[in-house]
Amino acid sequence: METEVPTFLFMLAISIFALSYIIIISEKVHRIVIAIAGAALMVLLGVITQEEAINGIDFNTIGLLIGMMMIVGISKDSGMFEFVAIWSSKITKGNPVKVFIALGSIVAIFSALLDNVTTVLLMVPVMFIVANNLRINAKPFLISAIILSNIGGAATLIGDPPNILIGSAANLSFNDFLINLAPISLVITFVTIGMLLFWYRKELVTTPEARESVMRFNPQEVIREKPLLIKSLITLAIVMVGFMTHEITGLEGATIALAGAALLLLLTLNEPEAHLRDIEWTTIFFFSGLFILVVGLEAVGIIRIMAEGLLNLTGGDLTKTAFTILWGSALLSAIIDNVPYVATMIPVLHDYTVLSGVSAAPLWWALALGADIGGNATIIGASANVVVAGMSEREGHKISFLEYLKVAISMTLVAMIIASVYLYVRYLM
Amino acid sequence: MKAKGKKKGYLVKDYMNTKVATIERTATLKEAVTEMIKNKTNGLVVIANDTKVCGIVSGLDIIHYLVPKYLKKERKLASFESGETFVVHVLEAADVPISKLMTKNVIKVRADSTLTEVAALLSEYKIRQLPVVDTKGYLIGYINRTDVKWAIGDILGITSA
Repeated sequence: METEVPTFLFMLAISIFALSYIIIISEKVHRIVIAIAGAALMVLLGVITQEEAINGIDFNTIGLLIGMMMIVGISKDSGMFEFVAIWSSKITKGNPVKVFIALGSIVAIFSALLDNVTTVLLMVPVMFIVANNLRINAKPFLISAIILSNIGGAATLIGDPPNILIGSAANLSFNDFLINLAPISLVITFVTIGMLLFWYRKELVTTPEARESVMRFNPQEVIREKPLLIKSLITLAIVMVGFMTHEITGLEGATIALAGAALLLLLTLNEPEAHLRDIEWTTIFFFSGLFILVVGLEAVGIIRIMAEGLLNLTGGDLTKTAFTILWGSALLSAIIDNVPYVATMIPVLHDYTVLSGVSAAPLWWALALGADIGGNATIIGASANVVVAGMSEREGHKISFLEYLKVAISMTLVAMIIASVYLYVRYLM
Repeated sequence: MKAKGKKKGYLVKDYMNTKVATIERTATLKEAVTEMIKNKTNGLVVIANDTKVCGIVSGLDIIHYLVPKYLKKERKLASFESGETFVVHVLEAADVPISKLMTKNVIKVRADSTLTEVAALLSEYKIRQLPVVDTKGYLIGYINRTDVKWAIGDILGITSA
């Protein structure tokens, strides 16, 4: 079919896509504006029809994102996430090393269940407060929040947007992610916390009086509404059960998340308007625009050409392909936003597995691990990194590009090596 | 006592104050606080190029600037923050130019504006005072809630015997 595509249409699709990508990377114009404008051009200039564009949007991903955003948006008003963070600081009795381990672990756990940006927005204020009370530099905490949120996010289907995209497109269940990615995410979390502790060992010291102030914390104070807390916990539990059983029930991610959102709205009888505003519409439109841009590439056969290119590069060897994907994804995700990258790679890998006949599963895990962990290498590698850097700068602790790179590059490399060994031993040997 | 005439027009010029506490836009937070304490006021009109109005800085603007951004949406968390944080932020902010924390979109009135307009503006924006400027934007006075209260008193025939 691609042979019938006129050359000018082919060039047009490439130009629109490449230009959109370049402008998104340059950050000169808001990425949402570019994604929508690029998507509109694909239809306006006749690369694809409106119907093809709409069919290209993965509404399962969109629904899952919206549902989770609403559930988290409502339940975070109860103060439950801050409660856990404050409580864990208290039980460490203000020992800086233990607090560092506790808060870092919580970041990893939260980001496996929440989106990474939401996690750091919840955790960074608590980290500032704990560090100020202990009279130690907040930076080690903030940098650990970035690194551990990206690693923890890799653990589950809902932990990081690239995983949602991959899960939805490749029909991989919540449990598939839990079984295949959670163990390696856990190992990397442990190793990374160890490395962070070693790196910052000289900064994590405090005085007995400072510890005293952390021991006086009363976590109950952050609970704003107890009834809301209970309703949120019930909903979150039901949603988790829903995700874990969706292979049996046949319900898809969007159904579970949106039903959860509906349940929580019913239980709280809240005004839905306020919570619809909680939804990050910028993210939703960004995803929709990207889906359409990728459909444009597919329609003129460029995705097919990319898949053939990958086949030439690897000769259809599964091990070679998996490692190319893993390291290539990490490298690219360190420089560009991993969402547009993964959205483009998904159809490429689909075509690739059809062309080469290799087993697809290891490649999906390689893509997810590379894209999630690779984002850690630089301060611009993932959204959570940029958000924490912004918060830190506003408090007068600017994290410079090189300063971050110095800490993160070695940890990302170690994480990638662990991921490579895991991938090889579990799927390729 | 200011001469509060029982004018028929009820215009700004009948009730405004001509002695205004001002500060240059290049001044620092510390200098602004010094002026506020000296003039026993919570609001300073920020001026540049002689007396051209370019902003207003209030006590609230300064307090707002001193609250760490990460506590803005997390009021409950503020009770956990160490007491020193306030001191640290005050000391760090001492030399910050007031142009960074002042209100830049200043709502102004003219001397011949009506009190109807003044009342509407004070009530809509919940502000305490309005600078009064001439046609070129130069400061000539200010009118505040207390002045409007005087006018209300005049209308109701209340005398402060």
